[in-house]
Amino acid sequence: MRRLGPSALAIAGVVAIGLPFLLKPFGVYLISMWAVLTIAAIGLNLTLGYAGQVSMAQGAFVGIGAYTVALLTAAGWPFFVAFILGGALCFVIGWLLGYPALRVQHHYLAFVTLAFNTLVFLVLRNEEWLTRGSYGIAGTDRPSLFGFSTDNARAFYFVCLAILVLLSAATWWMMRSPWGRAFVALRENPIRALSLGLDTRRYTLMAFALGSTLGGLAGGLYAPLVQFIEPGSFSLNMSFNLLLMVIVGGSGRFFGPFVGALIAVLLPEWMRIAEGYYLIVYAMLVMVLMVFCPTGVLGLFEKAFRPKKAPPPAPATLKAEVTR
Amino acid sequence: MTAVLEVNNLSKRFGGIVAVDNVSFTVNDGDILGIIGPNGSGKSTLFNCVLGQLLPSDGTVRIDGQESTGMRPCDLNRLGVSRTFQLLQVFPQLSVRDNLILAGQEHQGSMTSRLFGRPDAGLGDAADQMIEFFRLSHLAEEQAGMLSYGQQKLLDAAMAFMAGPRLVLLDEPAGGVNLTMLGLLRERLQAYHAERKATFVVIEHQMEFVMALCTRVLVLAEGRIIAEGAPEEVRRNPAVIEAYLGH
Repeated sequence: MRRLGPSALAIAGVVAIGLPFLLKPFGVYLISMWAVLTIAAIGLNLTLGYAGQVSMAQGAFVGIGAYTVALLTAAGWPFFVAFILGGALCFVIGWLLGYPALRVQHHYLAFVTLAFNTLVFLVLRNEEWLTRGSYGIAGTDRPSLFGFSTDNARAFYFVCLAILVLLSAATWWMMRSPWGRAFVALRENPIRALSLGLDTRRYTLMAFALGSTLGGLAGGLYAPLVQFIEPGSFSLNMSFNLLLMVIVGGSGRFFGPFVGALIAVLLPEWMRIAEGYYLIVYAMLVMVLMVFCPTGVLGLFEKAFRPKKAPPPAPATLKAEVTR
Repeated sequence: MTAVLEVNNLSKRFGGIVAVDNVSFTVNDGDILGIIGPNGSGKSTLFNCVLGQLLPSDGTVRIDGQESTGMRPCDLNRLGVSRTFQLLQVFPQLSVRDNLILAGQEHQGSMTSRLFGRPDAGLGDAADQMIEFFRLSHLAEEQAGMLSYGQQKLLDAAMAFMAGPRLVLLDEPAGGVNLTMLGLLRERLQAYHAERKATFVVIEHQMEFVMALCTRVLVLAEGRIIAEGAPEEVRRNPAVIEAYLGH
């Protein structure tokens, strides 16, 4: 896998740059959506895949980012200022949402974040003075770069792609730093991590805040891409979808979200012919994947290229000891 | 001279159960103190109170004369108090080398400087030396989860030493380790003690291991200290024999 890496990456790069010139506008829209959702999924992969903190609220952060950009640009702010502010707002809210994670774990944390997602949805729907409620917000301006407008689909795709490349490079660099090691330690054995001097509290909050920031930045691109946002776009559905992308792609693997988002965006389109049966087929595919390869599509690839090694034993846990 | 570790009148109650009952002892620089006692005598609870994993109900803990009762484990660790666990505690998906770098990285700089610093936090060489010291060189790049139980125990101990601690608390380092590996572990602990003048506190059931390693032994039964002294002395103490074989 590692030896295949550089060439696979080069091919992916050529495809990502060349593809929009071959596709019709709707195809370009779909790959732009892929780029945007990949950013959100990278965020969730950071929180859930690397740091092991279950979050069912990533869709809410995409929503917060999207509404921030839509409202601020409508009020005349420049796009990139609104975009950064949306991310910053999500950093703060994500940090705050991390506090429950210091108390509860796993399923309980899933419920807490799920409740938060519902709360955000209700605020977006009911606070009409701010968000225009169920009517939604249409026609968010796309940014112009150095005097060039990115109103056409292909130009905006390249904006999304450039931001995806930038953010994934930053994430990759962070995961290589001692922080990356600390996040994995948080997932694998928080008690041991604490005894080795890791301030698990700060790293947990940071994992939530950074993951949420990426969600918010994805939202900042989602609004100008779709050109219409309403509260329903950011309900639990989107959070589940993002969760699916992370898990199907390969949770805790750097390129997992890229693959997962590709599947989650393209598969429904290819299966249009199956009409209503599409969800049944999709669900079955996911179940089969989870049964035979819980490490996702990338895990499947790794298995194929490195067949010898046995899976590591489950990490030992310390149930009797109390963490603080 | 101030003691490295000073425990004063420490008690820990869980509801009506008194797990640790008014325990006091000191550990001086360079000591290897063994704590023995039957199952349920409060050894691990005592450890957890000293290490900040549990909050004691009463009493105080001092490290180098500085009160440390109620400090969080990560802050205590940065003061130079390190530990191993009774059950295996390594990070199975990280390589042996990364396990060791992780064990030292939080002692380097601030959180921000770690983000912008070198990927190995400048600890690559130190980790390799530690791997060499614990005879794990052939496994350096393996995932820790792939190692045998005994090798993981060695890694666990190595991690406790990575940050150059002042005081190391080892909770049943010999538990479940075969005799060959046990000999290596004991020999490495003694070598480390001789080289770095570190201070150890060891909880252990394996008597031979305790007798060979420790300079002083403390016996707990039902949460209280019933004997204290040189290993040979303690072994002959009728109260100790009674606690282990009695009832």
